[in-house]
Amino acid sequence: MELMKSENIVQDRQPQPQEEEEIMQQEEEEEQRFHVLAVDDSVIDRKLLEKLLKASSYQVTCVESGEKALEYLGLLHHSSPASSSSQHHHQETQGHKVNLIMTDFSMPGTSGYDLLKRIKGSSWKDVPVVVMSSENVPSRISMCLEGGAEEFMLKPLQLSDLHKIQAHLLKSLPHS
Amino acid sequence: MDLVQLQRQFVDYRTSLYHEGFLDEQFTQLQELQDENNPDFVVEVVSLFFEDSERLLNELARALEQQSIDYKRIDAHVHQLKGSSSSIGAQRVQKVCIAFRNYCEEQNVEGCLKCLQQVRHEYSLVKTKLESLFQVRLPCRREIFFLSKMVLP
Repeated sequence: MELMKSENIVQDRQPQPQEEEEIMQQEEEEEQRFHVLAVDDSVIDRKLLEKLLKASSYQVTCVESGEKALEYLGLLHHSSPASSSSQHHHQETQGHKVNLIMTDFSMPGTSGYDLLKRIKGSSWKDVPVVVMSSENVPSRISMCLEGGAEEFMLKPLQLSDLHKIQAHLLKSLPHS
Repeated sequence: MDLVQLQRQFVDYRTSLYHEGFLDEQFTQLQELQDENNPDFVVEVVSLFFEDSERLLNELARALEQQSIDYKRIDAHVHQLKGSSSSIGAQRVQKVCIAFRNYCEEQNVEGCLKCLQQVRHEYSLVKTKLESLFQVRLPCRREIFFLSKMVLP
């Protein structure tokens, strides 16, 4: 069950009081699923994206702005790439890994492109970033791809589009 | 057969909405995302669209009443409305938004006011039609399965 505490952030479900073993098993299962951070200022698009991703068995966290995304990634107060002393934060935040970031392009404040650049200049740089937009502007597309985006997708997204991102997620698997 | 009639009514009404351009294939996508775990998904998304649109329409009216019109702000609101209507498949609303944005770019207040009126009209039409559609709600697949087992020989 999902508990939507606010429309801003969708929290992972809270474990009900259960046997410790069951809780651990749940957490293990969650760990194995890909976790996607979805960033969009539109409440409708967040709901859609969340459903699309969950329908593809991904774990999702939705945030409503670039700033909230930076906050989630622990990048809000850093202006330079993380130093080696915070290596333990690599690809982990609040105990959760992030396998993919999907962001809308046009957002007030920190745009999707700003967010992309910040991510690529941080310890999260290896996490694939997909930029979405309702507008098909070739210069915008090349700008994002040159900025390090894995993929540029046109909204509204459909289930068939999710297949494309799976390849990017598989790329992000940790090397043993 | 009541169940078949219900389904047909729903499908016929929905088909007419597509033919008249009120809805496009994005609405079909929404329905495909709905399942037993989330049987009210479409209604939830559409309700969000209603709330969000009403807010935007009010903002637009306010912005166009100002002495000194902020076209950038208006454009931002219309962009949002265009996006959300596109996300649920409300095609006619989306189309008016495109024209609306052009008038914003030209800083044409008359054009903008005309578009606001049009978009309000299209929005209230699609709202009424979607509300009617949900009154004739298609049972989800599992419901149909059990009902068909009970009702059909």
